[in-house]
Amino acid sequence: MIKITDLEKIYRTEDIETVALNKLSFEVKEGEFVAIMGPSGCGKSTLLNILGLLDDPDGGSFVFNNEEIAHYSESKRAQIRKRNIGFVFQSFNLIDELTVFENVELPLIYLNMKASERKEKVEEVLKKMQVMHRRNHYPQQLSGGQQQRVAVARAVVNNPKLILADEPTGNLDSSNGNEVMQLLTDLNEQGTTIIMVTHSEHDARYSHRIIRLLDGQMVLENSLI
Amino acid sequence: MFRNYFKIALRNLMKYKFISFINLFGLSVGLACCLLIFTYIRYEVSFDRFHKNADNIYRVQRTFNDPETGNMSLELGAVAPPFATLLENDFKDIKNITRFIPNGPTPLRYDDKMFNQDDVYWADERLFEIFSFDVSKGNPSTALKEPFSVMLTEEAAKKYFGGSDPMDKMIRMNNQFNFKVTGVFKPLPGNSHFHPEVMVSFSTLRDSAIYGEEQLRTNFGNNSFYTYLVLPEGSDPKRLEAQFPAFLNRHINDGGPYKASQYTALQLIKLTDIHLTSHRDDEIEENGDIKRVYIFSAIALFILLIACINYMNLSTARSVLRAKEIGIRKVVGAGKNELITQFLCESVVICWIAAIMAFIFTWIALPWLNSVSGQQLSGDALFQWNVLALILIFPFLVGIIAGIYPALFLSSFQPVRVLSGSLKVGGKSISFRQVLVVLQFSISIMLIICTAVVYQQLKYMQGKSLGFEKEHIITLNNNVALNENYTAFRNTLLADPNIKNAGRSSRIPSGRLLDASGSQISRGDSLAPTKADIKVVSVDEDFIPTYGITMLEGRNFRKNSAADTSSYLINEAAVRVLGLKSSQDAIGMAFQYGGRKGQLTGVFNDFHFESLHQRILPIVFRQSVGTDGYGNISVKVSGTNVPAALAHIESTWKKFLPEIPFEYRFLDENFEELYRAEMRQGSVFTIFTGIAIFIACLGLFGLSAFTITQRIKEIGIRKVLGASVKDIVFILSKDFMKLVLIAAIIAFPVAWYAMHNWLADFAYRIDISWGVFILAGIIAAIVAFATISLQAIKAAVANPVKSLRTE
Repeated sequence: MIKITDLEKIYRTEDIETVALNKLSFEVKEGEFVAIMGPSGCGKSTLLNILGLLDDPDGGSFVFNNEEIAHYSESKRAQIRKRNIGFVFQSFNLIDELTVFENVELPLIYLNMKASERKEKVEEVLKKMQVMHRRNHYPQQLSGGQQQRVAVARAVVNNPKLILADEPTGNLDSSNGNEVMQLLTDLNEQGTTIIMVTHSEHDARYSHRIIRLLDGQMVLENSLI
Repeated sequence: MFRNYFKIALRNLMKYKFISFINLFGLSVGLACCLLIFTYIRYEVSFDRFHKNADNIYRVQRTFNDPETGNMSLELGAVAPPFATLLENDFKDIKNITRFIPNGPTPLRYDDKMFNQDDVYWADERLFEIFSFDVSKGNPSTALKEPFSVMLTEEAAKKYFGGSDPMDKMIRMNNQFNFKVTGVFKPLPGNSHFHPEVMVSFSTLRDSAIYGEEQLRTNFGNNSFYTYLVLPEGSDPKRLEAQFPAFLNRHINDGGPYKASQYTALQLIKLTDIHLTSHRDDEIEENGDIKRVYIFSAIALFILLIACINYMNLSTARSVLRAKEIGIRKVVGAGKNELITQFLCESVVICWIAAIMAFIFTWIALPWLNSVSGQQLSGDALFQWNVLALILIFPFLVGIIAGIYPALFLSSFQPVRVLSGSLKVGGKSISFRQVLVVLQFSISIMLIICTAVVYQQLKYMQGKSLGFEKEHIITLNNNVALNENYTAFRNTLLADPNIKNAGRSSRIPSGRLLDASGSQISRGDSLAPTKADIKVVSVDEDFIPTYGITMLEGRNFRKNSAADTSSYLINEAAVRVLGLKSSQDAIGMAFQYGGRKGQLTGVFNDFHFESLHQRILPIVFRQSVGTDGYGNISVKVSGTNVPAALAHIESTWKKFLPEIPFEYRFLDENFEELYRAEMRQGSVFTIFTGIAIFIACLGLFGLSAFTITQRIKEIGIRKVLGASVKDIVFILSKDFMKLVLIAAIIAFPVAWYAMHNWLADFAYRIDISWGVFILAGIIAAIVAFATISLQAIKAAVANPVKSLRTE
């Protein structure tokens, strides 16, 4: 599903050049659950942003669904992103001015789906995430666990092929964290490919494979299956 | 998708109440100003369009010029009486022609109802064929056919006849002639350039006791007949105008050295252009001014621009608060275009809400604007389809204009940077915001300067010595019935110690100098024609002392001196145009004016007969032969007891003229009226300048609040390190004050240029002083500093520990 080869990302200021990804190569197959680990500043989030088409690499190749997309324009990337990729963030990133229902509905709006169809899909996913009773609440009125469940609901509402999770349990207590990890595992079992950045060895154990990064390079790859 | 946009727009509006208030209030006031000005412009351009034939009606106008230099000496909206018939005979293109003469206040009486009636017109019956009058009684095609017929407006009919039917009743004019009421008509609407209340049949003028057939046929000198003609649809008036010089030469031959077309010309002006573009010396009523329309439009657009800038500034300033939302929307699939559409929708929604508020503001402000500007705009005008369409469409345009920059700016955020918290709104965006603040304050400073200059010029005009004593002079309309008893009338007046003097004249200061004839002056042993354009006023021997006009050389007219009917007095300007070396040289010189030979017996000082818009013209005073030439009586009263003086004048008037209503005016009020347009302009400038500054300050207040919030950590650190409140306020205000300074530098030359052009319309004007610019800069700086200080002091006195915790 994803194949990156010699991927590079360099941040430049006037005086300093920081290599975030240094000729990184690996492959993720459809239906895999991959955890990316490493110390702060190793390039995990940069990698996730490139994989999520939120950022473009400075060099190398990025093949997504057999399509070379490394140097696609912003609008082309947005098109691929909204149909194929769901995001789950550590800090939930829900829009404060929208209700739970409206937050989850948002990706479907950008897919130009009909209102009746949207309603059906959103309600279905909210039920599945057990936050249906909170559908008219605003994010600030929910607990952290509930907010992350809403964020997961938003990530999966359009049935993406790939979910990218950036430390999804980072702001949650262990019980809520486990619930979220179970949700991701369930999604993966239903066929969704998941790539998760995490600091937590516990969370990483939910995955099939762990890629460890250091200074923008892969230093270890262990399979847990 | 749009529902989602509207929803979030409204929720954001509610969430950020302070910013929403600034944006909504600013935009609604800006839109209200535009709506007010639009209503005003709509009214101004609607003048005379209600006539069915409006597009094909033209007024014939006349100018006089110096045949040698071509310099214009007189520009008249009316022409001489023979022209109507001659034009119709000579040019087959003319489909119809009519004329009327406003008669000035005229004593009219029915039974015991007696009024000095304004707006009495001598009008011919064809008036109704050309103009669209609504005649409620009588037959419009015959009502003014017979001599001594009269038509009245419904209001005038009610005034004289109460509830009874006015038809066929007799109304007495000037206690001399009886007129039969043959019709009643509805008054013309406010947007007409003339408003007759009483129309007397033009055919009456054929009576030699009134004017005479011969005069109507041959008098090319009496240019007081407003003449309107109808051309065929699509006909080019220029083609007709091109034939006028030959036409004039064909019909006017005064035996002088020049052909008629060398010193006079006829022009056509479209009826619908008269109100805004015609400024002839003898306009029937005070016309509007296209320049004023442009000035007010510019002011409204400036205010709207300031409000739009507030919107742009505050939207981009608070972009930090919306960055997360933008990032998330991009992550879940929003493209740049979708985000741009969203933000444009938001600004359009805000503009529509502002438009509704603007509509209410306008409706409330309209009567007040009418009182300030002298317009007659009605609240109903706001409910016209085109105004309502404007209210719907205009906010859409304004929303797009105000929203486009914030939309482009916000939609360009990189989601990675936003969601990782590494976004810093700065760099170019701050520079652009600074440019916008500079633009706002440039406009505000410009408006302050313009207001100050308008008021300085007004003060100058009102305070400038006119060269005579205008205070405590009461003017009365002379009446023919007084001619025989004038001496007794004057003596009775002077019997009261409150009356100082009384004199008669054909025109009074504050009026226009419209009468002129050719002159000749002695060259060697004979008289030679001069090229001088000298205006004439008939005055009696008491006029000069009544007005306190200074005789520089020679003497005034003598009382009861038959020889003085051939004496002439001239002003200094006339001495100069006659080419005389000095005033002394003029005395005793043979002089002929308008065919009457005599000699110059005195020179008086140059004084402002007309408003300060006009240069002091060369004037000759002569005595009227007979007594008909004196239309006005000026009475100088003592300033100590004006009411007693007035009471005495009134009782004297009633004693001598019991059949004529007593009416008077104070001369200084006449002069004030001459500057009414400027006074209104001053008031409107002040109001709109105040609004502009207020909106600009609202924006600055919001912007400084944001800037200071972003610098709250810096303020905390500075305070911990020992900075005082004063230091903090200085640091925070400094950057904004720099912007005000730049704004002033930009505003100064623009304002100077604009006001230099405005002042060019005044023959006597102030020099624009640097003080005005400095004052405007200081006012803007103080207002801006006070606005910023409100926020800066709040931040500076806050507990630094608290501010450091905000990070």
